[in-house]
Amino acid sequence: MDRFIVNIIHRPEMVPEYAEKVTGQGKKEDLGRKALLTESLDIFRTQQELAHKNGLKTTIQMTYASLFNEEAVELAKEHHQKYGDEIGLSLLGLPCEQFREKYKTKDFCIWMFSLEDKKAIVQDVFGKFYEAFGFYPESTGSYYMDAELINYIKEEYPSVKCAVATCWEEGPKAYHTCNNSWYTFMDGGPWAPWIPSKVNTHAPAACEEEDSGIVAIPHLSRDLLACYDGNGSNFGTHPQNVLRGMIYDSVTWEFPYLYNLIDQYRWQARFNNGIAYNMVFVGPGWMNKMGRWEAPYELLYKSYADCMEYYGGLKKEGKLSDMTMSEFASYYREHKHYTEPECALWRDILYGSDKQLFWYCDPFMRACVNMDQGGAIVDLRPYAAKLPWRVGIGTEHIQDASYPFLIQEKYRAGYFTHYAGEGTVRSAKICHGGEEVDLCLCRTKAHFSREGDDRVLTLDPVEIEFSDLTVKIQSVIAFREGSSDIRITRNVLSMSDPEAEVTIREYMVGCYGTTEYTEDMSSLTLFMEPQENDVDPERGTQRLPVLIPYEYRCREAELAGAAETGCLVPPIKTRVSMTCEGRDKTGFIREGYAFSPMFIIGYCGTLKEKEGFTTWLKLEKAD
Amino acid sequence: MAQAGKGRLNYRCPSCFLRDIDMDMFYDKEKNEYYCLRCQYTGSEADVLEKNQIARMRYRAMMKRFTTFD
Repeated sequence: MDRFIVNIIHRPEMVPEYAEKVTGQGKKEDLGRKALLTESLDIFRTQQELAHKNGLKTTIQMTYASLFNEEAVELAKEHHQKYGDEIGLSLLGLPCEQFREKYKTKDFCIWMFSLEDKKAIVQDVFGKFYEAFGFYPESTGSYYMDAELINYIKEEYPSVKCAVATCWEEGPKAYHTCNNSWYTFMDGGPWAPWIPSKVNTHAPAACEEEDSGIVAIPHLSRDLLACYDGNGSNFGTHPQNVLRGMIYDSVTWEFPYLYNLIDQYRWQARFNNGIAYNMVFVGPGWMNKMGRWEAPYELLYKSYADCMEYYGGLKKEGKLSDMTMSEFASYYREHKHYTEPECALWRDILYGSDKQLFWYCDPFMRACVNMDQGGAIVDLRPYAAKLPWRVGIGTEHIQDASYPFLIQEKYRAGYFTHYAGEGTVRSAKICHGGEEVDLCLCRTKAHFSREGDDRVLTLDPVEIEFSDLTVKIQSVIAFREGSSDIRITRNVLSMSDPEAEVTIREYMVGCYGTTEYTEDMSSLTLFMEPQENDVDPERGTQRLPVLIPYEYRCREAELAGAAETGCLVPPIKTRVSMTCEGRDKTGFIREGYAFSPMFIIGYCGTLKEKEGFTTWLKLEKAD
Repeated sequence: MAQAGKGRLNYRCPSCFLRDIDMDMFYDKEKNEYYCLRCQYTGSEADVLEKNQIARMRYRAMMKRFTTFD
């Protein structure tokens, strides 16, 4: 039977984010304002009441500031006793007079501090927690927890087994939405719970040796289509997200979208061995009496009351299990294994389109397949590289915690570009009689199936119309658990002329980066490996690999029967390659140029009716 | 003119919202209008509310309740 689990997390944040900037506008900054402290605690109390009233237990994540407040500490103890709430410790909510006095900084995001400061703050906060409660917490979290931070916490406080560790696709988009002032760059991570590796939090552990020792959960459960293109803070399982996005009727104050979002997460159980998950994590700042965004307090209250009532109703119907964070971590470890992928076949539930995406995540990659573009891969993160990526002051990446991409259609164009050049995407072109059609222009739908170790997407066939030929073609995309590759087969089901032949050109346009802006490609090398016994006629011996060191010179090469084509991407320690089975296969590689700083790898071949053409895109750690 | 304040509610600029930017607006009590620091939008509260409805035009399924996700 399917199981839908929710973690509801509240934090008594005595100086909530936004409070000083928004509700305190026009007042001199004062983190110790009594009115602010009182209101924050009242809101926390209200949130707790709404959860308990609906029969839901919570995880109370104490903040540093709240540990100095006896009332908050007593409240947590009382709710632990009475409702079974877990008392955890958040690394959010650091700002308070005591913190400012001690650390002499206004920084508040734990992953952005120097490692030395991270350790000192963790010791301080965990020590203060122990003083207040007499034990160490089993759960912690922040918007992002870098690997060094998690490793340190696990080493010093082994009781910790669960942490909020990333916000899904909160990166440049969130920065832009906040008028370029919100520095949470953490794209490229999992959207559902995972076990982080010791080297990079976003990349799941592939085995016990890589296991960081905690189960990570994302901050909120986010709309896997809307957040990919839009502001992450508008489309998640936090009622304020829905209000911030103005996704409610301004007259009736109804917001069915939130319930659709929750229900679509429930739907994902069928792709994940019967397990689905939701996370709600709210602070008090958004629910203040002054209102938030355009919403008055009454709407803020209603949104949270309705949200809790919905989860509570599901629980009463036996359709939901509420767990605390540490309970969930134990459950997750009992029911999941390291290489088990997380899959999500996700449809548009907001914009009225029929768009459908498929997200896949395992310890070797995160990939997004876009059915509105014929099953093209439009986002690809090479977790196989397990890229060391230190963040914080004193490192190479002070704020940027995103896991780099090889393909990202929103930041690097995708199929459509202006005037010239290529955008990142993995697709195929079908060619006949001087005409060429990219499957990116063939909108379709996918059906999920599980075949042994394969998670398979079978796409509805599409028709390609040439001036004198119509070809019906079907794509089948398979992810084999633990293989670190993606198999794509194009089957020609029928042709208007059964004797005709078409050319297929399977390709990947790639680059690397974490933002919209291009990186230096000069250290990349494109390569093609010849097949065995391919004798170079000039040398009379086995043909040597074809290499193109990236110099922005727009060079290209082809090799009949190539065993492999690929590209080495040293800055992200990744080797991406393609192999192929198909008639007349010829490998090709193409270097980009300054106006199109991409690389292209692929294969072309020929297809007749009832024939198939298969490629494997493989991701590996580059030595 | 005296300095601007935040107004009754925390209104954002509807024009910036359409381009995915959350810009809190400020209120000019002499002109009785909200204005955006980033773009050139100005408007009364009624105008802001009206323009917010336009911002919702992209959410065609906002009020639809889905029962299946195939």
